[in-house]
Amino acid sequence: MTTQALAQVLASGLLMGLIYALIAVGLSLIFGLMDVVNFAHGEFLMLAMYATFGLVLLTHLDPVVLMPLVAALLFVLGAAAYLGVVRFAMRAKANQGMVQIFATFGLAILLQGAAQYLFTPDYRNVQNTWLGGRTLDLGGVFLPWPQIFGAVVSLAAFGGLHLLMSRTDFGRALEATREDQGAVALVGIDRTRVFALGWGLGAALVGLAGAVLAVFYYIHPQVGASFALIAYVTVALGGFGSVAGALVAGIVVGLVEAFTAVILPPSLKSVGVYALYLAVVFVRPQGLFGRL
Amino acid sequence: MIRRRDLLVGGAGALALSGMGAAPARAADEVVVGVLYAMSGASAQVGVDARHAIETALDIVNQNHDLDLPLARGTGLPGLGGARIRLVFADHQADPQKGRAEAERLITQDKVAALVGCYQSAVSATVSATAERYGVPFVCADSSSPSLHRKNLKYFFRPAAHDEMFSAAMFDFLDAMRKKGQKIDSVALFFEDTIYGVDSSTVQRKLAGERGYKVAADVKYKTNSPSLTAEVQQLKSANADVLLPTSYTTDAILLTKTMAELGYKPKSMIAQAAGFAEKVTYDTVGDKLQGLISRGSFSLDLAAKRPSVGAVNDLYRARANRDLNDNSSRQFMAMLVLAEALNRAGSTDGQKIRAALAATDIPGTQTIMPWKRVAFGPDGQNTDADPVLLQWVGTKFVTVFPEQAAVAPALWPMNA
Repeated sequence: MTTQALAQVLASGLLMGLIYALIAVGLSLIFGLMDVVNFAHGEFLMLAMYATFGLVLLTHLDPVVLMPLVAALLFVLGAAAYLGVVRFAMRAKANQGMVQIFATFGLAILLQGAAQYLFTPDYRNVQNTWLGGRTLDLGGVFLPWPQIFGAVVSLAAFGGLHLLMSRTDFGRALEATREDQGAVALVGIDRTRVFALGWGLGAALVGLAGAVLAVFYYIHPQVGASFALIAYVTVALGGFGSVAGALVAGIVVGLVEAFTAVILPPSLKSVGVYALYLAVVFVRPQGLFGRL
Repeated sequence: MIRRRDLLVGGAGALALSGMGAAPARAADEVVVGVLYAMSGASAQVGVDARHAIETALDIVNQNHDLDLPLARGTGLPGLGGARIRLVFADHQADPQKGRAEAERLITQDKVAALVGCYQSAVSATVSATAERYGVPFVCADSSSPSLHRKNLKYFFRPAAHDEMFSAAMFDFLDAMRKKGQKIDSVALFFEDTIYGVDSSTVQRKLAGERGYKVAADVKYKTNSPSLTAEVQQLKSANADVLLPTSYTTDAILLTKTMAELGYKPKSMIAQAAGFAEKVTYDTVGDKLQGLISRGSFSLDLAAKRPSVGAVNDLYRARANRDLNDNSSRQFMAMLVLAEALNRAGSTDGQKIRAALAATDIPGTQTIMPWKRVAFGPDGQNTDADPVLLQWVGTKFVTVFPEQAAVAPALWPMNA
């Protein structure tokens, strides 16, 4: 393998990994907050992509400009999913864990079906963006601008999230609720409100990822599935609930995937990722950065 | 008070009675045919288009049309006392196991006389085995894996070409280009990891060896991958003269996007249809596919030679809001071939329909395809289904090979 090819694999893995991290972090955040795995996470991503596509059609603005709007829409969707579905699932008297799984899984199927009904199963594509189809050529190493942009957005989102969690009252309330749900109620923090905002925040993050992906990926009712699987692995690898873990694990997954595809036949490229995942589960079941 | 138990018992009784009463009467006025496609999931659009194509064929059989196609003139199936065909659709979600279960349901519960499907070769493989077990004929519309007709199934029929015929046409074309002085030494195989991709690549690998083309890259990839960067990187470093992709729609779109991102422009591409036959692929990334050649069974420019092509396309477009393509034209023909056999069988009995299918002999002029005729060998394969090669130029496909069907000479290399 030439140095150039090595650099290309490294760069491609890193760029994709940062996007994986951005997709995964919302999932991790929600789990850390309330021990609920959102099985509709991939569908949130899919809806964010359709929202981007729809807003581009409607406003003729570039998806880059529309990103905050997509994130805001997804924030509303996330909060609504909590208030409308998950809140009730959490009230289950028996088998609460299973009820939560079925509730979010059911939501996923509902959203997929609704998307296929409303948007048809045709493939969509955001055209005419500033970034679309442009590639940075660094001496034979090709870096597509949409993915560079995605990586930058991902890093910025992680930075912003860190500031939010450490510097704001909302962040501190989130952290406190995460530590002890019972105690925060005693000091007057409205748990339902924190949870709803937490779900909104998680969904807004995957909304950003959707807007980024929409620029260089096809849009389809099923598009969430393949990314959601990687997001679950990323979260488990990084440690459920850990924001830093999601970032590191996303990059690791991207790199391992890229290198496995070079070493093994590409049809087996997920093998490396899952082998690593299994190893972590055996050695450090809480994930790289997780707490037990 | 009505109890649930009473309702259940009463309902079951009513069902049994209606079944007993209706069965003999129904045989005379309708024939039920089961249609299996992915109506949800990543390939759902293919299923939706297939439904329109098969309903178009049904319209031609059931209504009176002045076209030179089997059963177009007059209504219904005269051989069955004017009976009409009723379709029951099933969603196999591109999953071979769901395909098997749905086929079984259609046969045992809906009592279908025959089955049509299934696009994904992996699904057609399980459905054809199920059909065989129940003695129900299966007309395979659009799956092209050669292994499907090699199983010596008695109830399997495929009017369209398979990948050996398609791939042979590709290499015939490459040979012809070589003769014209083009330098073509190496090919790169890029194929998805189910039976469709694996069978296609096996044939292409063999043909490349026999005809003296070096296989510079041999890349099997995971279908519906989130990224194809590493794969395209390998193709790019191999830099073969011709790229031969075998992909469904999702991967065809992603491959094209990734190739553009990584600055990989092969001299030419010859695709094994499927994703590269779908309009949506060209709607999304068509500008990057100028000059791409795809194997095909169909092209709209055939209308010059087969007048029914335009008329059928109009009927199809009214339903589907798009033109017929390589996939939907084969789905249309499969239904028509089956209906013609049902009519000759004069019965809904599986064995009789099988015998009628085996005796099929439809001249090519009575199809919308470039085929010589429809007549099945003992393995159920139509050997006279001549494939064509189509080239994407501007916003449409142009037939470029073989010479007797060609409308224009091929642009070579693709970006010429």
